[in-house]
Amino acid sequence: MAEWNAYYQNEDEDEEQEEGEQSGDYKVTGRDSLVFLVDASKEMFIKGEDGEPSNFDMTMQVVRSVYTSKIISSHRDLVALVFYGTEQSKNPRNSFKYVYVYHDLDEPGAKRVQEVDALRGEKGARLAAETMGSGETSLGDALWCCANLYSDIKLRLSHKRLMIFTCRDEPHRGDSAKDRQARTKASDLKETGVIIDLMHLMKPGGFDVAPFFRDIVSQPEDESELGLHLEPCDKLEDLQKRVRAKEQKKRAMARLNLCLGEGINVAVGIYATAVTARKPAAIRLYRETNEPVRSKTRTFHMQTGSLLLPSEIKKAQTYGKKQIVMERDEVDSIKKFQDPGLYLIGFKPMEKLKTHHHIRPAVFLYPEEGEVKGSACLFSALLMKCSERNVFALCRCVSRRNYPPRFVALVPQREEVDEGKVQFTPPGFNVIYLPYADDLRTLDPPQCPSASQIQVDKMKEIVSKLRFKYRSEAFENPVIQQHYRNLEALALDMMAPEDTEDLIMPKVDQINHRLGPLAEEFKDLVYPAGYNPESKSVAKRKTAIVGGVAEKKPKAEVPEDELRAHVQNGTLGKLTVPVLKEACKQFGVRTTGTKKQELIDF
Amino acid sequence: SSALVLCMDVGFSMSNSAPGEEPPFELAKKVIQKFVQRQVFAENKDELALVLFGTDSTKNPLDRDGQYQNITVHRHLMIPDFELLEEIENQVHPESQQADWMDALVVCMDLLQTETKGKKFDRLNVALLTDLSTQANQDHLDVIIENLKQAGITLQFFLPFPAEDDEEGGGDSDRRGPGHPGTGKGLSREQKESLDLVKHVMLSLDEEDGLDQVYTFRDAIEQLCMFKRIERRPMAWPCQLTIGSCLSIRIVGYKAVTEERLKKMWVTVDAQSNQKEDVKRETVYCLDDDNETEVKKDDTIQGFRYGSDIVPFSKVDQDQMKYKHDGKCFAVLGFTKQNLVRRHQFMGSQVVKMFAPKDDEHAGVALSALIRALDELQMVAIVRYAYDRRSNPQVGAAFPCVKQDYECLMYVQLPFMEDLRQFTFPSLENNKKLSPSDTQLSAVDSLIDSMMLVQKDDDDADQKDIFKVHHIPNPAFQRHFQCLHHRAVNPGTPLPPMEPWLKAALERPDVISERCQAPLEEIKRKFPLIEVEKKKKLKTSAQIFGKDAEEPDAKKAKGDEEEDYNLADIAEGSVTSVGSVDPARDFRTLIKLKSLPFGEVCQQLTHRIEQLLSNKNTHYYMKSITCIQAFREQSVKLGNADLYNSYLQSLKRSIPNRRLEVFWDLLVQDAITLISKDEVEGSTVSKNEANQFLVVEEKKEEAAVPSAEDTGDVDDLLDMM
Repeated sequence: MAEWNAYYQNEDEDEEQEEGEQSGDYKVTGRDSLVFLVDASKEMFIKGEDGEPSNFDMTMQVVRSVYTSKIISSHRDLVALVFYGTEQSKNPRNSFKYVYVYHDLDEPGAKRVQEVDALRGEKGARLAAETMGSGETSLGDALWCCANLYSDIKLRLSHKRLMIFTCRDEPHRGDSAKDRQARTKASDLKETGVIIDLMHLMKPGGFDVAPFFRDIVSQPEDESELGLHLEPCDKLEDLQKRVRAKEQKKRAMARLNLCLGEGINVAVGIYATAVTARKPAAIRLYRETNEPVRSKTRTFHMQTGSLLLPSEIKKAQTYGKKQIVMERDEVDSIKKFQDPGLYLIGFKPMEKLKTHHHIRPAVFLYPEEGEVKGSACLFSALLMKCSERNVFALCRCVSRRNYPPRFVALVPQREEVDEGKVQFTPPGFNVIYLPYADDLRTLDPPQCPSASQIQVDKMKEIVSKLRFKYRSEAFENPVIQQHYRNLEALALDMMAPEDTEDLIMPKVDQINHRLGPLAEEFKDLVYPAGYNPESKSVAKRKTAIVGGVAEKKPKAEVPEDELRAHVQNGTLGKLTVPVLKEACKQFGVRTTGTKKQELIDF
Repeated sequence: SSALVLCMDVGFSMSNSAPGEEPPFELAKKVIQKFVQRQVFAENKDELALVLFGTDSTKNPLDRDGQYQNITVHRHLMIPDFELLEEIENQVHPESQQADWMDALVVCMDLLQTETKGKKFDRLNVALLTDLSTQANQDHLDVIIENLKQAGITLQFFLPFPAEDDEEGGGDSDRRGPGHPGTGKGLSREQKESLDLVKHVMLSLDEEDGLDQVYTFRDAIEQLCMFKRIERRPMAWPCQLTIGSCLSIRIVGYKAVTEERLKKMWVTVDAQSNQKEDVKRETVYCLDDDNETEVKKDDTIQGFRYGSDIVPFSKVDQDQMKYKHDGKCFAVLGFTKQNLVRRHQFMGSQVVKMFAPKDDEHAGVALSALIRALDELQMVAIVRYAYDRRSNPQVGAAFPCVKQDYECLMYVQLPFMEDLRQFTFPSLENNKKLSPSDTQLSAVDSLIDSMMLVQKDDDDADQKDIFKVHHIPNPAFQRHFQCLHHRAVNPGTPLPPMEPWLKAALERPDVISERCQAPLEEIKRKFPLIEVEKKKKLKTSAQIFGKDAEEPDAKKAKGDEEEDYNLADIAEGSVTSVGSVDPARDFRTLIKLKSLPFGEVCQQLTHRIEQLLSNKNTHYYMKSITCIQAFREQSVKLGNADLYNSYLQSLKRSIPNRRLEVFWDLLVQDAITLISKDEVEGSTVSKNEANQFLVVEEKKEEAAVPSAEDTGDVDDLLDMM
């Protein structure tokens, strides 16, 4: 057990490194911010056919999920929720009518989640009607109010985004003065670096972005992306996807050169698209006040008590009785091989990339045209050709200063978009880390008989019964979810935390039901009677079973017809070696082997 | 644990070599050094003995009646240590006799038999390093083979040449194949006969794979395969694979692939005494107030952040409320198509292989049925995996793996929803400006052709891989142990350079380098790549300072962020002059307020900059740079370049005199140039000059050296305003 435990303990150590590697340049660039600007007009509250949730309800669900995911994954981001087209007004200086700032820009917390929850469903619609009501619309004022929210923030903001949720394509019903004012305010906002997105929702007669909203939203990052999804959203899932895709700011973990040869450097950014989410570290609070305390770590000399400067310490490792001492910079220099970067070694066909050559999660590569002009073109050409020829590029990779090299496979990934023209697979290379010889362990695989085709076919039936379409985002982490539910309950003084569903628990009853008699049938084909895989002492029992099958132990015999039945069913593997040997004798087959498969093959 | 005997030929023929080649003796010694080095650093219980043959003297227990001459037991079976490494380095030399390698083998076997008595070893192994130049006595061959079998002693041979000329034998000689010294024809009659004998012995011990344990010295130095043999096997993880509650199959998991890390950490020691006991690290807690009031650890409690809320949550409560589960499990949630599980979504850091237990054939058949069913259907099982009660459960995929000699499931962890970050990136192909032309594409095509790392053999459908990453030992470990070994044996000397073979192993193979020359030139012609010159932001200096600053990082980062107040907000406050706390901010505010003339505000700012620069400290440098950046930014904004340009020029002149080179380097790093005509119309500086301003600084240095007035320059400037 020692070895496995060691692995789990190591996890904590890795964490530090990983965090450093993957958190990007967060501290330096400032905070991300996101304003939800939601239409609160009557139209938003109309329920869909067959009791489908209203657009307003759908929006609130999305806002809630963004709030909670921000709390888990990026609690430092600022989020605001503003309604427009309301009857009541509520904003910092109360200078705007029909604009209701429900939450100003701040880190989302438990209370806010609860407050958004309150706006969901039937009850929520009633609450919205009571507190805000639906009134006239001036998007210009609403945008102005949002601009003030941004400027009231005293922190440095790195990424500013505003999402408009509405199902009305002509909010001012042709009032050109109001339209003009909204356009002006939108362009003011854009000038200060705010990106405006439209999350337009379904309405009868369709949503036409052309007359009004085309001028409101920000220009897309590149010419191909229309920026406006032509089709409005009518499903929660779609809306959630669209919002999620925009809501997260992508940050490069590192910017490197991909060097093909001397003087041919393509600038690329490395992005982490999947990072193991962990429970955040605990923070220490002062008992009296519950305020967070800071920790300071100092290194000092035991005898003199004086603080030690970096030059006054060295590093050491001890092997046996021998202590080996090095300077601190020597310890760093040992790890240094080359400067950071990716260096192309060559190409290999995709089938040379083995499934089991996996040592850490992959990262994603995309060109950085802003660093080296021309990168995107060469990158794109490489991507197209690698994909077309089904090859990957093998590179040596030094991801940061004083990191030893690793070899990686750059696997081409072409862009994929769904019917709504929303990208679900971005174009670029996935970077797969490859193991060194040290990372592969030698195993002694046991010699086992193979299953017969009949047994395999039975299992195929079972497999087919339990087929489903795997989606990577389908499973929540029960450990983390529980942790946050607990915190939520404590933060909101709830009696008990909300129940979490453990999505990675097998649905045993359902599985049993679907399998029906198949499970028994399969067991009959592979297990002898009385065999119990659950029992710990199977090995001992097995001999007992053998004794049962063949009563006179030294002469293990099976009636001929039974034997033929086994042959027909392909279940000879259920018999033991001595029985098979005896059977071979019975049929006049000469045996030399002792391995079961050899005997069966006769 | 295992017991092994290294048996090395030090006879005179081992020193023979073709010109320009390393003699076999040196190569064999390196193999042994690496072998022992690895054992020492592995710190396991394996024991090791060293037997030399071809020695001038004789020292072994079988030395009787002129038999077993020139064979020396240099070290008896014991755990290897640095002493042994030192001995190998300093005491193992080429000697002038020759001895029968078969006799040496017998001495080794005898040693293993007598010295392992009363101890328990899993493996007994003899590694023979020789050039096979002596004729071996074959009289007792059968007895020797029989004894080896009975005692369970395994053999490894290390030779200067491959055992077989074709690709099949000699372990994995397919990487960088050519270049084995003494390959093939050059063998003497004795060597050929001995080689046949070696093959005979090895095949008698293991009919199928016996020859896999015959290595060349080269392979042994560059590869790890030989170490694998003596490596410990991974721990077994017995469990049951369950499908619903009615069907379960007994399985045993083994970690098959995982990122191996060094087991030992560096400890901090006092530089004078080298004692770690002299160094104490202490963590203190303090309140976030002006006095940084310290509080005792006992007066603190545990809490967590929930967004903006901080929730006190004691360890006891946390343990009680946390997610709990039933422990060890490998339960199928369902089955899905293999192509829905994308390679780049593999999580975690390991691959676990699942087999049936060794003693349970029924489980073997059942598991085989599942593996084959999945394989034939191209599907995988999606499973819940929990190592034990204390560890967090995972979701993962079990892939079928059907090999010639075994079948298994391979488990890989998959992501949770919380792990995923859905990024969208601008389209590449649909972008007219970026899309490559046909000639560009064909240039890439020929590059790929020239750089394919697999070669098709004419008669074989199989492709030969000439760069197998999983055969390269982790260079970080190699280098780490090389340096530790060096420091332990030669204290006080500088660390050695990297071993040439290791360096070479990480490079593009020579064949490829040659082949891709022309296509690369073509790429260079067809794809213009221009580095974008950038005005670097504050970030750069912040990063530079981040490293050297004594202040704790957390505090600084916080300062960075909170300090940057919004302008509009400050404008409402009462900034009347450029203060010393945040001069750049005050400067900007004052300019915005327009309450003072531009020249005067600039003067106040430069005054502060000069004050800051009188402290030779990186923090003050950083602050100065922030000021200069603000100065530049506002000057450009207002279209007034003169004050800024002349200040910066005079500042530059004063650098050598004031010994501010470090500061200037930082300014250069941040690319803070003069304001050019392109930016502000009234500027008298061309863009080229502006850029040159930073570049030519060394040449101009001389001109600026004389004069004590140079410090006065600044004041002149101030007066001027």
